[in-house]
Amino acid sequence: MRASIAAFFFAFFAAACSTTEQQITEQVEQMAANPIESAAWQQAVDALAVIGRPAARQLIAQLNPDYYVGENYREFRDEQEKLRTGSARALGRIKPRGATAPLKDRITTAYTDAERIAGIWAVGEIGFDQAGVDALKAQLQNDTNPIIRLHAAIGLLKMDDASGDEEIAQALSSPDQALAQIALDGLGEAKHFGVPLMARLAQTNGPRQNDLKQIMAQVGQGLVGQLDAEDPELRRRAALALGQLGADSSVDALNAKLSDASNQVRFSAAAALASMGQKSGIDFLFDAIRDPDPILRTNAVKFLAEVQKSSGAVEAQLIAALKSEDALARAGAAQVLGQAKVEAAIAALEQATTDAEAEVRANAAIALGHIGQSTSRPQLEALLRDSDVTVAYYAEWALTQLGNG
Amino acid sequence: MTRLFAALFVALLFYTGTDAAETPETILIRQTLGTDLSGHRRGDVDLVLSSYDEHFVSYDAHGSSDPRAWTIRLEDRDSFAEQLKTDLQKNRYETERTIPSIQVRADVATATTLDSGQIVDRQSGTVRTIYEKRFWTLFKSEERWRATAVVTELGDTPATTKKGSNNSEISAVLEREKQGREAGDAAAISSLFAEHFSGYRGKNSLNPAAWQLIFSGTEELEKNLAKRLPHVTYRINRQIVQTQVGARGNEAIAITRENVSTQHARGDVQHEMDRYVMWTLSKRDGAWKITNMLYNFGQPD
Repeated sequence: MRASIAAFFFAFFAAACSTTEQQITEQVEQMAANPIESAAWQQAVDALAVIGRPAARQLIAQLNPDYYVGENYREFRDEQEKLRTGSARALGRIKPRGATAPLKDRITTAYTDAERIAGIWAVGEIGFDQAGVDALKAQLQNDTNPIIRLHAAIGLLKMDDASGDEEIAQALSSPDQALAQIALDGLGEAKHFGVPLMARLAQTNGPRQNDLKQIMAQVGQGLVGQLDAEDPELRRRAALALGQLGADSSVDALNAKLSDASNQVRFSAAAALASMGQKSGIDFLFDAIRDPDPILRTNAVKFLAEVQKSSGAVEAQLIAALKSEDALARAGAAQVLGQAKVEAAIAALEQATTDAEAEVRANAAIALGHIGQSTSRPQLEALLRDSDVTVAYYAEWALTQLGNG
Repeated sequence: MTRLFAALFVALLFYTGTDAAETPETILIRQTLGTDLSGHRRGDVDLVLSSYDEHFVSYDAHGSSDPRAWTIRLEDRDSFAEQLKTDLQKNRYETERTIPSIQVRADVATATTLDSGQIVDRQSGTVRTIYEKRFWTLFKSEERWRATAVVTELGDTPATTKKGSNNSEISAVLEREKQGREAGDAAAISSLFAEHFSGYRGKNSLNPAAWQLIFSGTEELEKNLAKRLPHVTYRINRQIVQTQVGARGNEAIAITRENVSTQHARGDVQHEMDRYVMWTLSKRDGAWKITNMLYNFGQPD
């Protein structure tokens, strides 16, 4: 009985394996048999991407020119190009980590533009890998073809590397419509990684602002979906990016994330809402700033400082918080105002140097040091004689930060 | 296995050069080519012959790296032994050998060598300076690599096509190969090849060091045909440019110029190319078999 069950499972798995292998073979042959970008070729790439990791090994092998010898011999370079380009495209969607190294080796001038672009695209899609970043930077710096440089810049953007941002910005303002379209498509594909650049470009008066805004709206929709991703890091990045996009349509989704299981996601959602001037986000962060849990307070300070620096949306509340009845709120507000270097808060901070709580006085001194206005010297010199040695220590440090005058 | 390790040990003892791409096989091939050189320098016929396969062919390149210029010099090991004996009695070799490239694929390999130095006539003392490029093919059996062919006196002289030479038997073999491809008949194709044949991709180059080994024997060819033929249909327009058969009628060399195209079963793409192919053939067991096949050498006209 046991033997027959084992035989059944063996036969079942053998059949399953051969079916997958057969599917891979059929799709590979379809890629070889149709022009790149044709519907049939794209269909084969899609099917291989759907098969996923079981296909990855063969797809990686097909990138290598030395694969096409012996039993895998194919005499036509054009045929190899179809397979190499399609394999790179499918790998970019399957995203096996180990594929970056063989992909980056196929983006040099020894390969056709179609192969290089597919390889660069896949390296970017798979995500950060130092060797991948170095390879794309080399293309960005050295290649004479602006299309290759642009794809390399987009690949770098997808790996959270901003060294190609100017290449993308130039392409977007270029009279060459094809180049601009590649840039727009790349920004759309870069998801949260592309948002800071898009937000910056949207501030300029360059051409194609309508196209850019359309892409930003599409990315925003995608990011709202990303807020429900399984990976908290993806949710966090989506929340922050939505804040940078400032899309009102994402407010409800961000509000829902104020009760996310992950601390970082909650704070990122709050920061995003705060930077859009949403009361729910501001309240969340100001509540956290006076939380007894020091980790939550630290997060609140960090995110409030970022909101203030990027949008200035919480300046008035921060200055008002220096007069809060809660000492933790006063200390936290002083920290944020210092980190964000809010000059409008100097007078309130100088006043806070006389606060009854040593922690508030110390943070006020540090904040005045960060802002660095020489007019704060008398208040800081007075703190040198403070009964609390920590306050005196930071006052001394702050004095060294002040400008002359 | 013990013999392999012993051979490796001996090779490593005498081998001083190192190369990043060195493998146990390339070390053994260097040993084979080194033994040939040592035998010549010592005037030791047996030592030289120990580096040569029983099915050995020698070709003369006439100063050209273009196979269209090559001719068959010696068709078997006995002829070579005969000539070698006379040569070593007459001449003293004071030569060095460098080995710029070695390629190994399973049990077949290629190598290029550069021989330089002088050959001294033992009687007259006449000195002849040499600088000779050679292309070797080797086969591994019983853990030893032996030369199966050598092309001597390679150089940069352009080839002149030998006109009017067209052996009907050789043409018929090549026609059957073409028909087998077009009919998708793997058995018919592989039956035309010698069991340990070598196949190369010439990469449109006339530099033998750049030629890439793509097939090692019929087993590998059969696997390729099994994978390939169900998915593509071949059309080959093959023209025999030249054929020549050695004086003893055992070895042949042929050049074809052809247009080859494939139609795929799963799509409408047609791949096509023009290429030159060099074929070497051997008639060992009564029938001609292909022993070497070099695709895409030189630039098509």
